Amino acid sequence: MRYAEPESVEAALLALNAHEDARCLAGGASLVAMMNAGRIAPGMLVSLHRIPELFTITEASDGIWLGAMCTHRTVAADTRLGGAMEVVRGAARQLAHPAIRNMATLGGSIGLADPRTELPVALVAASALAEVAGAHGRRAVPVESLFVDSHRTSLQRGEFVTRVFLPRGATGAVGHHLRFSRVAADYPTVSVSLVLDMEGDTCQQVRVVVGSCAPVPLHLDAADQRLIGTRLEAEDVAEAGGLLAQAAAPIDDVRGSAEYRRMLIPRLLGRALSQARERAHV
Amino acid sequence: MSDDVRPEPAPRPVGEVLGQSVPKPDAREKVTGRAVYTEDLCVPGMLHGALLGSPHPHARILSYDTSRARALPGVRAVLTAEDLPAHDIGPAIKDQPVLARGKVRYAGEPVAAVAAVDLPTARRALGLIDIQYEVLPAVFDAEEALRPDAPVLHAPRGPGHPNAASYIRLVEGTPDSVWARCHVVVEDVYETPAQQHIYLEPCSTLAEVDPDSGKITLHTSTQSGFRVQAVTAEALGVPMSRVRVLVPRVGGAFGGKVESTNQPITAALAMAAGAPVRLTFSRTDDMKMMRSRHGARIFMRTGATRDGRILARQVRIHFDTGAYADDGPFVANIGSYFARGPYRIPHVDVQCWCVYTNKLRAGAFRGFGNPQIHFASEVQVDRLAEALGMDPIELRLRNALETGEKWLGGAPVESGTLRACLERARDVSDWARRRERTPTAPGKQRGIGVAAVSHVSGLLGSSATVRLNEDGTVTVNTGAVDTGQGSDVALTQVAAGALGLSMEQLNFSRPDTDTSPYDWCSGGTRTTFTVGRVITQACEQVRVQLFAHASALLQRPVRRLELRPGGFVGVRDEPGTSVSFAAIAGRALYVEGGPIIASARYLYPAWQLDTNRTQVEGLPFMGNGFFVFAAQVAEVEVDELTGHVEVLEAWSVHDVGRVINPAATEGQVQGGFVQGLGYALTEELVWNEGQLVNPTMGDYKVPGVLDVPVALHAVLLEQPFGPGPFGAKGVGEVGLVGVAPAICNAIRHATGAQVRQLPATAERVLRALMERD
Repeated sequence: MRYAEPESVEAALLALNAHEDARCLAGGASLVAMMNAGRIAPGMLVSLHRIPELFTITEASDGIWLGAMCTHRTVAADTRLGGAMEVVRGAARQLAHPAIRNMATLGGSIGLADPRTELPVALVAASALAEVAGAHGRRAVPVESLFVDSHRTSLQRGEFVTRVFLPRGATGAVGHHLRFSRVAADYPTVSVSLVLDMEGDTCQQVRVVVGSCAPVPLHLDAADQRLIGTRLEAEDVAEAGGLLAQAAAPIDDVRGSAEYRRMLIPRLLGRALSQARERAHV
Repeated sequence: MSDDVRPEPAPRPVGEVLGQSVPKPDAREKVTGRAVYTEDLCVPGMLHGALLGSPHPHARILSYDTSRARALPGVRAVLTAEDLPAHDIGPAIKDQPVLARGKVRYAGEPVAAVAAVDLPTARRALGLIDIQYEVLPAVFDAEEALRPDAPVLHAPRGPGHPNAASYIRLVEGTPDSVWARCHVVVEDVYETPAQQHIYLEPCSTLAEVDPDSGKITLHTSTQSGFRVQAVTAEALGVPMSRVRVLVPRVGGAFGGKVESTNQPITAALAMAAGAPVRLTFSRTDDMKMMRSRHGARIFMRTGATRDGRILARQVRIHFDTGAYADDGPFVANIGSYFARGPYRIPHVDVQCWCVYTNKLRAGAFRGFGNPQIHFASEVQVDRLAEALGMDPIELRLRNALETGEKWLGGAPVESGTLRACLERARDVSDWARRRERTPTAPGKQRGIGVAAVSHVSGLLGSSATVRLNEDGTVTVNTGAVDTGQGSDVALTQVAAGALGLSMEQLNFSRPDTDTSPYDWCSGGTRTTFTVGRVITQACEQVRVQLFAHASALLQRPVRRLELRPGGFVGVRDEPGTSVSFAAIAGRALYVEGGPIIASARYLYPAWQLDTNRTQVEGLPFMGNGFFVFAAQVAEVEVDELTGHVEVLEAWSVHDVGRVINPAATEGQVQGGFVQGLGYALTEELVWNEGQLVNPTMGDYKVPGVLDVPVALHAVLLEQPFGPGPFGAKGVGEVGLVGVAPAICNAIRHATGAQVRQLPATAERVLRALMERD
């Protein structure tokens, strides 16, 4: 196996394209574990950890750019990530355990596209954009559009994510992430990420995304629409949750049966919404 | 017969060491990473071993082709059953080959072994071994395996179903005739999972073979050097005089390292390769190849009169022992023996089957059949209390066996302290207040539950040698393995208390089968109890020898002499008159009498079941032990939205007889509770068509530090009694046994949901909540 530590995005792209079977190495939390388990054997690893721009955080008027090599710990500690952006910070703060949060990165989570993990779910809820670098320069795309299947993204060979943009969203909007797992630090059985904007007791805008229940983060426009304009009464939540449960394609595994996951979706949606509303009032 | 030495060991310790929280001798090296485990050992020319597991749960082996593996550069030995003696091993039934022979009986069963210059080469070689199989029908459920048309795993050994490794029936009274007299009868079917030991150190062995003498030296992670010595010699057909076993630090065992693990195959590889071989399992290989707790399905019916006297109980237990019997028939003994619980129930009918299936073997695991039967019994007693409108603790107290009453089968309860444990648990947990349902967060419910716990300590034999050194210090040698539980410090404290020495004046030898006296095993809640006892016996003999010399040196009669702290023999009522152990040692070594040394042995006397009282069928007793008691209380919060259960606070009350080292004892109780918490809520091996689906610590979840209740109170009662050192009783396994029923009873109290299957995962609890509604 070959190994390179380029010091710029451009050098990294060259290295990636120089080898048929090259993979980016970000935090290594999953990639190295998979290599150790013999599940993958890349011919070349291109480490991104010497590229300074991938670690930078830039504040803009309409949001915040986070470098792809920012660890979950860094994201969790950044108090500028308030309002709608809080959904990403909340997910980063809760997922896995400190050792993983110290290693794993934003870009790595996107590239891995593991349907069990929750950061992608929060990024989709936050309407995040990803800046993708490739042979033809850089482009910004909705993170949601990157996830095409379990462990598969729409990134082309030789491309990687350089940074992520989190929009501030409407004034007064709150982001919230709720996870449910068997024990602390396990993958969630189900997670719910949402951004909610209330006007008094009426839901002005909401974006709900469910994790661990489909090959990609589950976002359903119809479920959002079912909630918008309502007072989020039990019936509204149950119906929106029902739509999501219907659209979900969960698997049976040691964390719970598919049926159980479907049962949890409306239940956890209700809890996530009421927790978000409590936060909005604080 | 046991070797009871008179006079009895000193009932009171000398000096202040016994009863102190003396730090464990291995504590510092463990927290700094200096501790040396088997995997840390390295010798010149050492090879690395690896095993190939069967891909099928049940298949005939048609042929082997190992030629490509042998041809791989760096490979020094490749073994299959064809290269090994055709000996089967097993503590109860000799049914296990070292490598599968003729057929495989579970997916993951070792079929071939490789030794190579490094581990990657060894693993590559495994991939080059070609084995042809003919897949056979398989069976994965204990009850299904007893059907007449079920696939058969082993050649029949006698009448009865060939898949029944053992069958037990115990009947007392006439249960069939008394059900009509019961005012309340409850019955249910309970299921418990195959829990795995998840010792932090996977099984590991370093084997060296002396090329001239053929003597095999094993360094290995085990609970018993002597079991390893016996089983390895048996498996390989060599005399025990050619097998030596040493035990480096052990990273947990919990019953999984009582019998042999990978010692015989590592020794065989070293013999074949003509070089030392170290074989350490990966976590996944350990989970797929070694053993688990027995999964069980238990039908139980219990009846009581209106005033809360339990009259009758019927029990049918199916223990799933997997592909090999291992300790299964003994586990079934304990499960049957405790099926009446610690209660006086005059009419009892217990049937128990220990059954082969095409899954990982099940064997010894902390609690040894008792966690399964306690779950059924203690959950059912709560249902009975509910049906009677009685407080659960009150019902238990009304039926608890007291000192002098008889166990199922007629053995006497010598120190019946269950009542004291329950009463203390009721006090310390503020039971009455917490039974009034506490208000809680929306969507959540709080409740509190109890379990009465009984267990035995003390089975099988131990011995000790105690020797006075020239400077008056003392060396103690027992063969007992400290698996991390702290027996080295506790046993040293026992010797300190027996002779009045400081910790610095004692040398506690680590186990080595070449030089240590025999000890059966660090298991069975027995090490402090049984090994501690033989240390006090041997120390007593040393004291007698010391006093004979002191009498001559001090010109005083023996009857006026006493031990004084620090290594002195003094004269009662003469504070200024004494002689040091060093002076006595000098006299013994150079003047008269010879070196001061003593050895002692003990075997807890086996109880013959009283067949006038009990009808007994098929109970191959391996020796019972001294009954010990505890009461466990858990307060839980149930999330009614998800079914998730959080244990908020817990109390584990144990009569330990006498506390030898409070910190170590509390550690045992807390560790037992946390392992019981995993058994109660999350831990379960899951198979799909015979393939283990969760053989990693990511998928199989043991509780982590964040899952443990913030307040976990170990409450130690001291009611010294019996043959243990200074009246100490065993505690090692007890802390696990009642956790699951206490938690499930608390779930019931919180929500009304009845969980009948462990672990009480959120999904199962949510379904039970929906069943309730």
